[in-house]
Amino acid sequence: MKIGLEIHVELNSKSKIFCSCATQGSNVPNTRTCEICLGMPGSKPSFNREVLHKALKVALALGCKINKESFFSRKNYFYPDMTKNFQITQYELPLAENGKFEGINIRRIHMEEDPGALIHFGSITLIDYNRSGMPLIEIVTEPDFKTPKEARTFLNKLITLLEYLNVYVREEETTLKADANISLEGGERVEIKNVTGLREIERCLEYEAKRQEIELATFKETRGWDAEKGVTYSLRKKESENDYGYLTECDLPMLELSDTLLNEIKKEIPELPNQKIKNFIDKYKLNKDDAEVIASDLKLAELFEQISHKIDAKIAANYLRRDLLGQLEYNKLQVKDLKIGEHGVKDIGVMLNLYQKNKINNNILKTLTIRLIKEGKIGEIKEQVSDDSQLKKWCKEAIENNKSVVEDYKKGNENSLNFLVGYVMKLSNKSANPQKVREILKEMI
Amino acid sequence: MNVNEYLSKGKNEVKEIIKEAREINKKYNYFNYIDEDATGGKGKLSNLPVSVKDCICVKDMESRAGSLILKGYKPVFDATVISRLRKEGVAIIGKTSQDEFGFGSFSTNTDNIPKNPIDVERSTGGSSGGSGGFTAITKYTHVSIAESTGGSIACPAGFCGVAGFTPTYGVVSRYGLIDYANSLDKIGVMAKKVNEIKPVFDIIRGYDEKDSTSLKLDLNKDEKIKKIGVIKETLNVDEKIKDAVLSKLKDYEEVSLPLVEKYGVTAYYIIALSEASTNLAKYSGLRYGESLDLKGNYNEYFSDVRSKFFSTESKRRIILGTFARMAGYRDAYYLKAMKVRNLIIQEYKKAFKKYDVLISPTMPIIAPKFSEISKLTPLENYMMDIMTVGPNLAGLPHLSVNAGFIGKMPVGLMVIGNHLDDNKVLKFGEKIE
Amino acid sequence: MKIDKELIESISKNARLKLSDKEIEKFSHELKDVLEAFSKLKEVNTDKVEPAFHPIKIVNRFREDIVKESLKQEDALKNAKHKKDGYFVAPKTIDK
Repeated sequence: MKIGLEIHVELNSKSKIFCSCATQGSNVPNTRTCEICLGMPGSKPSFNREVLHKALKVALALGCKINKESFFSRKNYFYPDMTKNFQITQYELPLAENGKFEGINIRRIHMEEDPGALIHFGSITLIDYNRSGMPLIEIVTEPDFKTPKEARTFLNKLITLLEYLNVYVREEETTLKADANISLEGGERVEIKNVTGLREIERCLEYEAKRQEIELATFKETRGWDAEKGVTYSLRKKESENDYGYLTECDLPMLELSDTLLNEIKKEIPELPNQKIKNFIDKYKLNKDDAEVIASDLKLAELFEQISHKIDAKIAANYLRRDLLGQLEYNKLQVKDLKIGEHGVKDIGVMLNLYQKNKINNNILKTLTIRLIKEGKIGEIKEQVSDDSQLKKWCKEAIENNKSVVEDYKKGNENSLNFLVGYVMKLSNKSANPQKVREILKEMI
Repeated sequence: MNVNEYLSKGKNEVKEIIKEAREINKKYNYFNYIDEDATGGKGKLSNLPVSVKDCICVKDMESRAGSLILKGYKPVFDATVISRLRKEGVAIIGKTSQDEFGFGSFSTNTDNIPKNPIDVERSTGGSSGGSGGFTAITKYTHVSIAESTGGSIACPAGFCGVAGFTPTYGVVSRYGLIDYANSLDKIGVMAKKVNEIKPVFDIIRGYDEKDSTSLKLDLNKDEKIKKIGVIKETLNVDEKIKDAVLSKLKDYEEVSLPLVEKYGVTAYYIIALSEASTNLAKYSGLRYGESLDLKGNYNEYFSDVRSKFFSTESKRRIILGTFARMAGYRDAYYLKAMKVRNLIIQEYKKAFKKYDVLISPTMPIIAPKFSEISKLTPLENYMMDIMTVGPNLAGLPHLSVNAGFIGKMPVGLMVIGNHLDDNKVLKFGEKIE
Repeated sequence: MKIDKELIESISKNARLKLSDKEIEKFSHELKDVLEAFSKLKEVNTDKVEPAFHPIKIVNRFREDIVKESLKQEDALKNAKHKKDGYFVAPKTIDK
């Protein structure tokens, strides 16, 4: 099985690719549009410098060869989501070619504009052009994936990389779109257009692989993906493909990229995920699994690095993976939702120090973590009660109120002791030091 | 009254010229729209009446580039030239008639056909026919902002006997110009006399960040004329036209530009129509312009709107341009033409090493009668541009100035300069005039 | 190259133009003429010649990444005949 992807990534510039309309903001239809992204007669595109820089960052990080000269073209076809009935994209000479990432060969990377959004409404179509002119890069891979799962894993890593580069904001899973092509040995290539989201890309490839196993593709075909029914359907046979009649975009001049610019862009590329993982293992002595999980999110990785200045790296890693990620998941939140400032980082250091010295217990740690997630800081930390006289008072109460349990323990039932410890914890409002309680109970009984 | 005198005397004849335009328009069809309420203001061009070719967007004023498919289109923005002119106090009196989208040399490919001011049986030339005709006929001070892709300023200037100046490509912003062919389109100025052009040209020229193909370069300062070259191949016309042109020159040498002569028209049309056919794709009855009731699917709808509201000439040019871009033909036509354009530019550049300006007749004929035009085949039609396409293809500044008459009909002389020698061309034109 | 009715039909379909039989007939004759003339370019040797996309070579024009005010919704839609609730309206785009 051979699978290739054409991945559309929306870059996070402030304004659109060819006009000054905002890329974020009002979702009221047709309120982030102007004469340029509406393709009104007389308007002309002008190219956003930031889009070039972000695209170059991606191309360099994916090890591509940059074409020092490239230009935009008009891809001509009629569709109501396109305001000019052509799309400004790159054709003969894309921005970059021949890269490699995670063992997959990258054929090319080019820049283009997104069309508007269509809403099918009975016998008519409603059009919102807010999306028209949103900056996209298309990353085209060679058909190097052998399974749908591989493709999804690759996309996950790619998204992490894009976040590291600060060129892309992971919103919902659905913001990443791709065209996927798949062929089985001896069969023709089938392309599935416009699949949205990582999970859907994997699902549609799995479906298509099964479909082709049953009936080998005998002709080149373009298919669509019906996510609701979970099936692909034929759009057109390749032979009848549109003739796009590509033309140089004569309103935009050539791009000529200097070495100076490329060197500047290279300097902007931060330490990338794979390098981070290596560092975490070599320098911070984390195990591979911890290193990969923590490096999979730039924000988490940076938080880890900051905390590790204040506390043993392994304790930090353990805390982030087990406690912080656990609590986030439990509350259906993501790392990007965290708002931990400098103060918060300091608090985490203090908290983990106390934890390490056994001055706070797991329960307190949990409570504090929830507060950290909610408020971005921890504030005052109430240490656990280790004062003997207070603990003895609680233990005494526990023994008196649970006489039969005490008898059981005396008969040798170890579990009974656990029950008594729990009773004391409840009495102390979870603030008692459980190890000490255990010792005192043993002593007293 | 000459523009310079009008400005220095602080005149205001806006009301009068609008009244005149309305009267003249009944017979001559120079305007697609007249703004009855136009007023001027203060600035370097205080109260100067300016007409604007229909293809240049004026905010809230119907701008349909002589087409029916854009009927009713009122731009929500001003073209850069318009906002620059308004800032200096001009009065935009209306939109002048033209061939649909600039497709023609006689302004006959439209619903509102302008007539030659000297003989109404004859054409004004095109595609800026309304601009040329009104500039010639008005009794008042006035300039017209016109546009040339392959000769659309020079041709009507020549046929109507006025001065028509097309600047170096990129010297005047195209922002707000309804595209014919983006790599060829240039906004320029028409006036009765050459020396009326500069005050307006100086306001509209200069880099505009909204037009990425506009130049950041300054115009050349050297305006001295040492050597004049007459393009040999262009003298192969009616003796009377040749004599009229040469009578205006004292010292000159003949210079041969064989590539321009042989391949200019072809390269020009392939490039122009390839670009035009994509520019015209946006007219589909959805966002502006004419529409029909929504029926069937979008493909049928687009086809219905486009078939109904495009003229035959637009359809012809869309077909030719689409063909030249088709997979399999693209390299042989479109890309080849781009390369030939490069060779043609080099041929001109070589000539400009020796000559300060190049001279030719503006058109191979005098303004033809409508009855003659209707007999021309499309190919004969396209060949009419043989003199003007060269400098347009190469983006060279050029000026048509009156060189005399054959009978009552004017003959135009064309002055062509090197890139950015715009002022040299204007200076020389003044001398000839 | 053969300029026949079939070619004209396929081009006009691509360009979303419905031509009458008469138009197709007329155009195929005229285009033969024009394209023959166009074919003259083949004579020119353009080896090692760069295409001139513009008369004067222009490179690298950029706009800075600054947000400016968009059009008001009513202005965006002002020239459209078919509109509804702030949307442009087009005919059907799917056949499902």
